[in-house]
Amino acid sequence: MASSSVVELSRWQFAITAIFHMTFPALTVGLSLLLAVAYTVYVRTGNPLYLQIFRFWKKIFAVGFGLGVVAGTVMTFEFGLNWGIYAHAVGPVIGVTIGMEVITAFFLEAGFIGIMLYGDGRVKPRTMALASWMVAAGTLLSTTWILSANSWMQDPAGYTEADGQFHVTDWWQVLLNPAFGYRFPHMLLAVLISASWFVGGISAWYLVKRRASALPFARRTLSMALGVLAILMPVQLYVGDATAIFMGGRQPAKLQAFEGNWTTDNNDYNLVVIPDTDQGKNDLRVGIPYLGAAIGHDLTGEAKVPGLLRTPPDERPNMWSAFYGFRAMYFTALAMFAAAFAGLVLRLRGRLFTSPRFLRWLVWMTPAGVIAITGGWITAEAGRQPWVVYGKLRTADAVSHLNLTEAALSLTGFVLLYATLLTLWIRYIVRTVKAGPEPVVDLRPGRPEVSGV
Amino acid sequence: MSEYLTYALVLLSLGAYVVLDGYDLGVGILSLLDRGERRRREYTELIATAWDANESWIILGGVALWAGLPGAYATVLPGVYPPLIAMLFAVILRGMGLEFQSASGTYRRGWGLLFGLASLAVTLCQGLVIGAVLSGLPQRGGHFTGDALAWLTPYSVLCALGLVCLYLLAGAAWLQDKTEGTAHEWAGRLGRPLLGATVVAALVLGFGLEAADPQYFHFEQPLRATLFGLAVAAAVVCSAVAWYGFGRRPDWRPFAAVLGAEAAGLLALVAATAPVVVPPSLTLHEASSPPGSQVFLVVGVGLCMPFVLAYNIYAWWVFRGKFREAGRRSPTTTAPDDGSAGPFVPPTEPRVVVIVRRTLLTLLGILLAAVSQDIFGGESAWVDPLGVALLSGTALIAWILGDRRAQRLGEYDLPGGERP
Repeated sequence: MASSSVVELSRWQFAITAIFHMTFPALTVGLSLLLAVAYTVYVRTGNPLYLQIFRFWKKIFAVGFGLGVVAGTVMTFEFGLNWGIYAHAVGPVIGVTIGMEVITAFFLEAGFIGIMLYGDGRVKPRTMALASWMVAAGTLLSTTWILSANSWMQDPAGYTEADGQFHVTDWWQVLLNPAFGYRFPHMLLAVLISASWFVGGISAWYLVKRRASALPFARRTLSMALGVLAILMPVQLYVGDATAIFMGGRQPAKLQAFEGNWTTDNNDYNLVVIPDTDQGKNDLRVGIPYLGAAIGHDLTGEAKVPGLLRTPPDERPNMWSAFYGFRAMYFTALAMFAAAFAGLVLRLRGRLFTSPRFLRWLVWMTPAGVIAITGGWITAEAGRQPWVVYGKLRTADAVSHLNLTEAALSLTGFVLLYATLLTLWIRYIVRTVKAGPEPVVDLRPGRPEVSGV
Repeated sequence: MSEYLTYALVLLSLGAYVVLDGYDLGVGILSLLDRGERRRREYTELIATAWDANESWIILGGVALWAGLPGAYATVLPGVYPPLIAMLFAVILRGMGLEFQSASGTYRRGWGLLFGLASLAVTLCQGLVIGAVLSGLPQRGGHFTGDALAWLTPYSVLCALGLVCLYLLAGAAWLQDKTEGTAHEWAGRLGRPLLGATVVAALVLGFGLEAADPQYFHFEQPLRATLFGLAVAAAVVCSAVAWYGFGRRPDWRPFAAVLGAEAAGLLALVAATAPVVVPPSLTLHEASSPPGSQVFLVVGVGLCMPFVLAYNIYAWWVFRGKFREAGRRSPTTTAPDDGSAGPFVPPTEPRVVVIVRRTLLTLLGILLAAVSQDIFGGESAWVDPLGVALLSGTALIAWILGDRRAQRLGEYDLPGGERP
């Protein structure tokens, strides 16, 4: 079969393109909802503040969405480019699921985004609001189908194997596979939360900088973002925990790897480990005593956290990526919970917009959601290795017939291109934020005609 | 039978892609040839409203191929790896150039050039891919078995050049339809030479296919010969209409005629080659996925297609007629970040009270985090849903109350707007 270096390079390429792509939906799903809500409120009340919100966030949304589309095009073809054997084997299952995503979700977004972005003045305000809702519906549907497809690969159901392919026996079991029930709500909450931190952090920046022209705008969006966060963060911690326990039952090796133990004689909760993958031991381990057992639902502190040596060597995932991916997600989640909680307290005390230290903290939290989502996906995907379809198809057996040069050159190209693109995108966001929201005119009857300058 | 429906779906998507993205790639290449900055900007703005939707068709085509004909997908994609990867790079750069150009509000030479050059690169790579597939790929049992340069043949290079002519032609026809003034005249003048070049390319590629494609064409079958003949005749008629229509009113006629010619040409190609999907020998039947998957795909996509077409046509209709620049607001003058709203007012409370309160709140926060993430779930399971609901409910009520108070205090009022 293909050489192991082609497998490694292809894995890196897929990981990098997937993480890069994920960054954009992580923000645009939530932003599309914010835009739809803002425009609807504007249509209903005529309050120009909401038009200002819509126009400002539209600028950031448009570029992020465009980059998400092109990065998504790459993903569509990559399944077949580097993973031809996999593509042939799962085409009847995953190909169909993603085909449904494209026709129901992708087209919906792409069809209405032109109206939403450029329709101002060409169509009625109600149509604009409808187009915004259609774009938002498209992004949500897209999340649903993708999570269904990915969850099937994590925990396949409803199929038989014939002629080296997976054939579907029951579509309901394929689409609503057991893992989907946990992983979809987890991811849905995650994208809403990450967009909220993004909006909240940028709004907080205007408040920190005390920019008079942007204050009402910033207060309004900050309040919305923190309101959503205070509601969703506890739910997310709960759903996330349930997901970890469920997936830990289905894929024991993943749980063993992300808890960071080799032997099963430890009841600590590990904070830092330096694993030695060849020897099957940790060179360094720092943990909180008894907390590991408590998380495993045993308050007496006796329960031991299972170790990775229980899994045969050729079925072990890499502990580094699973452990640190999980820690990146979990520690960021704790910081997010703390910030959302602090925001709740400050709101109750009426000091939400006037607490400089808290607002500065929020500015730092701007990318928190994206970091947590990236960490979570690294845990989910690296933690199920060496399988691409869990327990059925090994990643090493799924790669295309390619030569090393092709794989190496395309990987280099993607790394350079995506690094440039990410830099330019961040620079664009910084510039847009610095320029600030454009002034708007209040044309409602009985109000003085004023602008926001 | 179902594999023919799937094949029709794949062809419909790829055809729609060539027809729709063809014109916007063509406009992109044409923007390189136009010196005027205002017109270059106009070209990108013309494309900006539609490129997302146009590009969706290639994604649908790719995915339908994967789901319905995994054998073909898994053979073709590794077989044309270098040009396809290069095409994806160019697609990314093109999207980047277009979006940043559109977002910047004025013409930026760098983004404009990037958009144009990337459009050209996308077209060339697509031509190479099509040519490589038509000249046949080494394969066995639904897997590619050739080497890294299997895609590079004289035919694929000719195909790339031919596709540039075709997309330029579609782009010029589109510009005649959508623009006014100098760009309009220019497009009208360009049309006929481009059409001539495209016809020459089509003839060369058409007769060259016999030599390049390793399979034998069964033109002795009457149905195949009839379909092929009709499609070619339709293409000829459409080309003649386009020739007549360039530089004459109505402005939409050349574009419609070019679309017709493209569709007819694709049909002719299919009529000649079906049921072989990847020459020399991979047939539709061998490449297809099990019937259950194909039925699901065709029915699912088929049910959605009327809606998709309806809102795509609606979006098209919204931006109908000649392009006009949206009423651009003047670029915002950047407000100073130096605290024009005055400094924060520090709270006036004894330091001890503040420290004690913060410590207690931190402890409470940690406790709540522990409860909500189910640490105690094993001992008292009722804490999980109830605790979470309690926390989120409190947050919701606080949000509503806080928002009302802020509204009362006028914190959301635009500056200067006195509320009654």
